[in-house]
Amino acid sequence: MTYLLELLSSGLAIGAVYGLIAMSFAIIYKSTGLLNFSQGEMSMIIAYVAWSISTGTDGNPFIVAIGSIGFAILFALAVERIAIRPMMGEPILSQIMVTIGLSVIFRALVTLLWDGLPHNMELAAGNALVDFGGIQVRVAQIAVVVMLFVAIAGMWTFFRYSRFGLAMRAVASDDGTAQLMGVKTGRVQMAAWAASAVMSGTAGVLFAIAFELSPSLYGLGLKAFPATILGGLDSVIGSAFGGLIIGVAENLVGGYISSSLKEIAGFVIIILILMIRPYGLFGEKRIERL
Amino acid sequence: MSQLSTQSDLVAPFLEIKNAQIIYDNAIEAVRDVSLSVAEGTVVALLGSNGAGKSTLLKAVTGTLHLEDGDLEKGSIHFAGRDLARSKTDAIVRDGLVLVPEGRKLFANMTVEENLTMGAHLKSASELRRLKQTVFELFPKLKERRSQTAGYLSGGEQQMVAVGRALMAEPRLLVLDEPSLGLAPLIIDAIYETIALMRRELNMTVFLVEQNATQAMNLADYVYIMENGRIVLDGPAEKMRTNLDVQEYYLGFSSGGEERKSFRDIKHYKRRKRWLS
Ligand SMILES: Nc1ncnc2c1ncn2[C@@H]1O[C@H](COP(=O)(O)OP(=O)(O)OP(=O)(O)O)[C@@H](O)[C@H]1O
Ligand SMILES: [Mg+2]
Repeated sequence: MTYLLELLSSGLAIGAVYGLIAMSFAIIYKSTGLLNFSQGEMSMIIAYVAWSISTGTDGNPFIVAIGSIGFAILFALAVERIAIRPMMGEPILSQIMVTIGLSVIFRALVTLLWDGLPHNMELAAGNALVDFGGIQVRVAQIAVVVMLFVAIAGMWTFFRYSRFGLAMRAVASDDGTAQLMGVKTGRVQMAAWAASAVMSGTAGVLFAIAFELSPSLYGLGLKAFPATILGGLDSVIGSAFGGLIIGVAENLVGGYISSSLKEIAGFVIIILILMIRPYGLFGEKRIERL
Repeated sequence: MSQLSTQSDLVAPFLEIKNAQIIYDNAIEAVRDVSLSVAEGTVVALLGSNGAGKSTLLKAVTGTLHLEDGDLEKGSIHFAGRDLARSKTDAIVRDGLVLVPEGRKLFANMTVEENLTMGAHLKSASELRRLKQTVFELFPKLKERRSQTAGYLSGGEQQMVAVGRALMAEPRLLVLDEPSLGLAPLIIDAIYETIALMRRELNMTVFLVEQNATQAMNLADYVYIMENGRIVLDGPAEKMRTNLDVQEYYLGFSSGGEERKSFRDIKHYKRRKRWLS
């Protein structure tokens, strides 16, 4: 029983990491139709910056949080303005190629600016162990699950009740018509990139605290992308649950069946679910009626 | 009704298109040397069959040509003093030129009310409330359906949402691209009654693009006819209704052949054109 709970709790934590990054994929896809294949790398760079802030400030969690969120936003806006904005209106495949190019550059930057070694991100508050009815959990693991639910609630409220969130949905549904209403699609794109960097950055930093920081952290993006497909590429909130499902499934398969199957468990689930629901679990079906 | 024909001469035109040439992908010429004007307070209809270039002209007017690789190569377009060729769509909408696009283009997955809210994207929260009330008064049916998903409404209801959404931007010039497209005759009548009502009650200037000539011509003060990217005939609606060519070609009073003929095939028109050029 304890074993199951341990598997579930660490599955939820890693699933929340996937979920936050999956939401980042979805929000950019939903509002601009673009798949940002440098999402995992952006998450990694933000984690490294957080690490630098942390070592420079003796691990003050507030400074680390505020500093890395601020950096995430500026970083995303810079990437959007320099690399993505000029590609607006170009074929989507070329835009995707740009994000793949960015991913290679970002990976190189990490080893260039920092190093290629794994590090422990020493943040006492995050490393502390909490006893949860016999199971030991790190604060960072709890934090990432909490952050995922904060992000879900935030996104839900934003898309449902705010005018700008509504405009983002309009752009997602038909950007030409949204422009006819006076929506500036450039602003929508900026907001999507900033929000995605904050979410995936949070995931990267908390992952680094709970596990380790290394130049292979970008691999989280590869795990999160299928979670986005599972939840529904255009469903920001569905992606969050896609992440949780994959995280938990991986852990259960790894714990009960075989650790070599762990890596593929998520993909098997995706294939099964997509056969039944091609739009993903929560994806919006296009209404074709005229 | 000489009042109508002189109106466009005396009042400075609200919308004025001069010698517009529009080219797609640097190769396809969709609009050639078109001049057209809409005076404030009037209803102007632009008629023409498939591919005449009507929607293309409206894309130029709303600043959305660039989205489809189109370009106003020559000529000028002005609205209330603003140079539309150099304006962004949001500025054009803010000035009060609002389009109901061809095929309605609702946000299908959003509710009726959310669609209306989008129409007022550039308005403040209090203006939004006031405008929603006005539109709900004009279309009580939309109030009933406010929380339904727009994509599942009937064609006529969707057109109502599309018009309502445009009204949410408080247009001074309402532009409609084929509002009768794909609708049953009874629904078309209702749509035209609504347009007539808006003109009467809200004193709105209307620029109407149609293939369905009869209705449009009954409502309009002035009519332009477009074919193959050019204006081939224009005049006050009164005169156009009694014009033999127009009757033969558009209103279906054919003097023989079954199919719709092109203007080029009609003798009157040829003579007139030679006389004009
Ligand atoms: N995005 C585009 N790229 C290239 N050519 C286009 C584009 N849109 C329209 N055209 C061409 O421009 C011409 C005019 O098209 P337009 O849509 O303006 O006609 P229309 O008068 O609105 O016709 P309809 O009544 O069928 O809507 C057509 O020959 C069309 O093929
Ligand atoms: Mg058209």
